[in-house]
Amino acid sequence: MSLPELDGPLESGAVFPARLTARVVTAGARPSVHGYDVEGDLARHYQASDLLFLTLMGELPSAAISRAFSVALMFLGPVSVAHASTHAAVVGRLCGTPTSSVFGVAAIGAAEHARWLLAEHAELIAWLVTPSGSLPERFRARDADDLAAVQRLELALQPSGLTIPALADRPTRDAALLVVLFALGVQRPEQLEAALALARLPCAIAEALAERPANFGNYPINLPRFAYTE
Amino acid sequence: MNLPELTQETRTAHWGWHEHRYFGHRVFEELAGRETFTGLTVLSVLGRRLSSEACAVVDDAACTLTLADPRIWPLKLTRLIAAYGSTLPAAAAGLLSEEEARIGPWAMAKSAEVLQAFDAAIGDRVDEPNTVRDAVKAYLAEHRFVWGFGTPFRERDERLVSFRACIQRRKRDTHRFWRLMDAVSAVVSEVRHPEPNMGIATAAAFLDLGLTPHQVGSLTSALMQHMFLAHAIEGSAQGASLRELPSTYVDFAGHGPRSSPRAEAAAGSARGVDAARGVDAARGVDARDAAAR
Repeated sequence: MSLPELDGPLESGAVFPARLTARVVTAGARPSVHGYDVEGDLARHYQASDLLFLTLMGELPSAAISRAFSVALMFLGPVSVAHASTHAAVVGRLCGTPTSSVFGVAAIGAAEHARWLLAEHAELIAWLVTPSGSLPERFRARDADDLAAVQRLELALQPSGLTIPALADRPTRDAALLVVLFALGVQRPEQLEAALALARLPCAIAEALAERPANFGNYPINLPRFAYTE
Repeated sequence: MNLPELTQETRTAHWGWHEHRYFGHRVFEELAGRETFTGLTVLSVLGRRLSSEACAVVDDAACTLTLADPRIWPLKLTRLIAAYGSTLPAAAAGLLSEEEARIGPWAMAKSAEVLQAFDAAIGDRVDEPNTVRDAVKAYLAEHRFVWGFGTPFRERDERLVSFRACIQRRKRDTHRFWRLMDAVSAVVSEVRHPEPNMGIATAAAFLDLGLTPHQVGSLTSALMQHMFLAHAIEGSAQGASLRELPSTYVDFAGHGPRSSPRAEAAAGSARGVDAARGVDAARGVDARDAAAR
């Protein structure tokens, strides 16, 4: 049934632009990102991690920052199935959903994990913005594993030539990685959240894809045991 | 190795042999054939059932909230994801976009908080114009933006007009938060001019049902799912036209073309090599010229 032309606030009320606005990636056959020709320039001279830095920051990293950013991404990457974000992706795979949906679950998990981690470290971020005194106590490493991880981080950062003084305060592993990102200029909450989520997504997806769809019998369904109460 | 058992309490559900439990109810014996879809949704959000009269208010809200034009942003987003041909990812993306957003169910949760703030300030004196005026002016002095007010692109929220008629038919317009909304709205509209919207009306009606602001947001989100599903289903069947817009529909407002530092360095070093080659070649010519002379 054809209707007479309907009228409403979006027909004769406000006026809207006729075109979309791109602000980072140019549309069309020869894409550029923040002004850099991807195929003719970035692909020849930079790594994928540099493109990630460019997308987050709007500028390419120097050689030293590029090196340190790669190290930070590497340290951020592994999130085991013990974590809810990766665990959820594995369960998504178990359900036998298409891989695209598994990726979607992993992406939501990684984003939520990143948002939660930043919320947990809000005091640290505030201290990094306006440092006063030494590193807040709750972000200091308390066990040998954390201390050793931060030592390995410092070792990996050495070739970059960058000195990050807050690492000398022996932060926890998570705090140390946020300190490093912050020192590299990744400072706004949305930039930090994106860096964390993007760094962690590949391992979550890999763990999920390593599971066999519908392998229900080999999944610990009572971990944890949900105790029903009324 | 024996591991300590990890446990977590749940009031939500249990899978039994012959009967299942859901929020304290036997699914087959108490819910099946007796509870409505709306009632089940209410039970899921509140953890308790509401009377059929109360569920009818929820139904009224769900129906009047059905503003599902595909140009509305969360629904457009759903439609864009649906363009790739799947249904649930599109619906899930739409749902995700509601979390603590400026429009949609969370605006209603925030509106409920606003009403609770006014309730704390005004209490039982909602019929005293000066008390309401003072409370609203004090609130406005501290808040530039007031959740639940503003009707973009039109003078009043047509959904509120319709919902008000429903509430009046059910004789619920004398309840505490509905009256408070009316009293507060009159002053806000007079002082700042924005009209109340469906967000604060839904919040008022649901607070009168005994919901918390968070429950107002969660229940409203559940009540709006049908719109996401509708666009996910229709959009996934139509697909292609939204998958990639012609580039003529895109303006670029970002950084202009530039060369990367490494490309510049490579070009500089290539220029250096060329220049050196040029000198060498010139020398060669000079030498040949000299030999010839």
